[in-house]
Amino acid sequence: MQTLGSIALLAGFAASVMAAMNVATGLALKEAALLKMSLRWSAIILASIVITAAILEIALLRNDFSFEYVANNSNIALPVVFKIAALWASLEGSIVLWALILSGYIFATAFRFRDRLDDRLVGFAMLTLFVVSAFFFFLLIGEANPMGTMARPPLDGAGPNPLLQNHPLMAVHPVMLYLGYVGFTVPFAFAIGALATGRVGEGWLLLTRPWTVAAWGFLTVGVVLGAWWSYEVLGWGGYWAWDPVENVSLLPWLTATAYLHSVVVQERRGMLRVWNLSLITATFGLTILGTFITRSGVLDSVHEFSNSSLGPLLLGAFAVIVVVSFGLIAWRAEMLRTVGIIESPVSREGSFVGNNLLLTAFAFVVLLGTMFPLLVEAINGDQLSVGSPYFDRLTAPIGLMLLFLMGVSPLLPWRRTDPETLRDRAFWPGVFAVTVLVVSVSLGADSLYEMLGFLAAGFAAGASIRHVVLASRRQGWRGVTGRSGGGMIAHLGLSVLALGLIASSAHGTEIEARLAPGDTVEISGHTITFIERIDYFDGDNAVIEIAVLVDNDEIHKPAITTFPNFGRPIGTPSVATGWREDVYINILDFSDDGSEALVRVIVRPMITWIWTGGLLMGFGSLLAIIPSRKRRPEVPSGSADSVDGDAETSETLVGA
Amino acid sequence: MRPLTDSQRNLSWMVLLAVMIMAIAYGVISADTGPRTEAERAFDIKETILCPVCDGQNVLESNAPIAASIRVFIDEAVAEGDTDDEIRRQLVDKYDEDINAKPPATGLGSLVWTLPVAGLIAVVGSLVFSFRRWSLAAEKNVSGADRELVAKARVDQ
Repeated sequence: MQTLGSIALLAGFAASVMAAMNVATGLALKEAALLKMSLRWSAIILASIVITAAILEIALLRNDFSFEYVANNSNIALPVVFKIAALWASLEGSIVLWALILSGYIFATAFRFRDRLDDRLVGFAMLTLFVVSAFFFFLLIGEANPMGTMARPPLDGAGPNPLLQNHPLMAVHPVMLYLGYVGFTVPFAFAIGALATGRVGEGWLLLTRPWTVAAWGFLTVGVVLGAWWSYEVLGWGGYWAWDPVENVSLLPWLTATAYLHSVVVQERRGMLRVWNLSLITATFGLTILGTFITRSGVLDSVHEFSNSSLGPLLLGAFAVIVVVSFGLIAWRAEMLRTVGIIESPVSREGSFVGNNLLLTAFAFVVLLGTMFPLLVEAINGDQLSVGSPYFDRLTAPIGLMLLFLMGVSPLLPWRRTDPETLRDRAFWPGVFAVTVLVVSVSLGADSLYEMLGFLAAGFAAGASIRHVVLASRRQGWRGVTGRSGGGMIAHLGLSVLALGLIASSAHGTEIEARLAPGDTVEISGHTITFIERIDYFDGDNAVIEIAVLVDNDEIHKPAITTFPNFGRPIGTPSVATGWREDVYINILDFSDDGSEALVRVIVRPMITWIWTGGLLMGFGSLLAIIPSRKRRPEVPSGSADSVDGDAETSETLVGA
Repeated sequence: MRPLTDSQRNLSWMVLLAVMIMAIAYGVISADTGPRTEAERAFDIKETILCPVCDGQNVLESNAPIAASIRVFIDEAVAEGDTDDEIRRQLVDKYDEDINAKPPATGLGSLVWTLPVAGLIAVVGSLVFSFRRWSLAAEKNVSGADRELVAKARVDQ
């Protein structure tokens, strides 16, 4: 089987290289027949990686420990869902998943543009995609080969890291994240195509719009599910620690979010061409840099489940991306110059520029803080840490301003705004915001920062609800589809998420208590009663569970599990969730005679809002892909019924 | 329903803003502004001291035994009346400089604070400059005849 897998990988690599050469020749000789073969090549590439992934999955399910990967990352007792998920439990498998998703995207791109494969723009995009694919297959046949064999297969495997086998989210979160990460390869490839052909107008943006939105939606959901996983599994009651691995998943999200907004300015006004090309390059580059940081072991992280020698290759790839893209941008500088102007900062495009400025600043702070310890150590050998106090201090004001802009921007017309328009449009969102503020103050909000946050989040929610209501009155359910409708649902989701973030970081109490059976501890109006201790074996894993009664109502069973192959026992918290607050219960330790448990209880408000908001954002991006109404394909930008803002335009006309 | 007049709209905004200011004022006044208790001090220190063995978690969050012992150490030191700085220095001496979650405000390390601020000032400055240039350019494109047309259209309406 390993031989078949190795052949499939070699075939995938060879097909990627040959496809790239084929397309390059086709472009050089202007030979349409050669370019049209891209669809076939991409099918071969997809088939070879599907075979590889299938072989690995079958080996995992059949406990075939002659596979080094299976022996290291799975074991017989592992539940089926975690056996499947073990494909991305460590380095080699994650690169297989990456290549699988990439090949899927490449095939989908070739299929979508099957009638235009001889178009040079599409040709250069396919060339870029095949080169990226060749790089990942190169990793798979070299440093990250998943087909290594065990000379003497063990009777049982080591199993994945315990943290990766005790929550079902592990089966979903990495896939979502990778669908997002890898998805940005497609718009990046078209950006390269646009630069190479000199067709740097708006065409490539329109072609890749749904791909970008889809990748953004996956990445959003992936990041939020990652936070959820960390909350449910790591046992410290938090969901975001500004850990390097979390940071590098946030970085492309920030630049991609900036990109989603700035492309609108280019489509409507023809401006910001260089900026958009730079943003999509940065987004794609950051996904590679992020993989470098998480997979090379240069930074300490709680999520780092693999160390490897992949570092230099990934760093090299990052350098190539940056040099090639910015080299092309410099080469096309003359074509990229635009004459447009933004007449007033208080306009839709002005607010998009502000949003881009803030998102880029946010990304800069996160990137600097993440890399800074490395830089300082490289310069003078000092060891220092950059932790949450730094990130909180610098990103909170940026986040607050972004929230505020998210409320104002949808209310602003293009070009310029007269005060009366803004006054009238902002009224109901303002009422909503003040209502949110009053409710939060009555529930105990008392810091200025927090109150301003609630106000801004309420305003943003109000503005998006206003848009949805107006658009649905006119267009029915299609009012929530299309870029502006779906975008507003995503805004609403982010407002909900922000409310959860603000409330849960501003408030919360915790207590550590030694409890014997029958003891009760009280915290913030909740009672937690220790009923009994339960010991049992789950396969080879020794589990100590305690049954606790929360508020005389629900029974919860936090546990500590000792995995035979890992020294440190792993705590599994149990959470009583609610819309208002969560009660998070975790076992820290047991007394020497085992009769008492040291339990940590954390009460935090509105955590559930974070996951709900995140999923709503993902749903919004789904809606954004559905066209808002039937229309002629690719209406030229700037025309009356193009892209978005239709609602505002017609409303202004009616109101005049 | 009859649409509201301009002054009615302005009035409703003023009412809204008044409610907003009252809510914020109430929140600020009701905030607990007394001197920090020992527990609050200990909490703040624990939040900014990283657990030495657990990759990025602070000692407040971490469930590792060493984090628990540092928590106890901080509680005791606070109870004995040591200042925040003294407690931090003792911990840094015992473990290492990188136990501090907050990067230093002096030396090379302070760049992590100043670079973003300097960058922001530079970018905002150049944007303000661009917007001014743009608005001048927009003005230039409008001729006196254009203005008359707009004014006339407004009167006609």
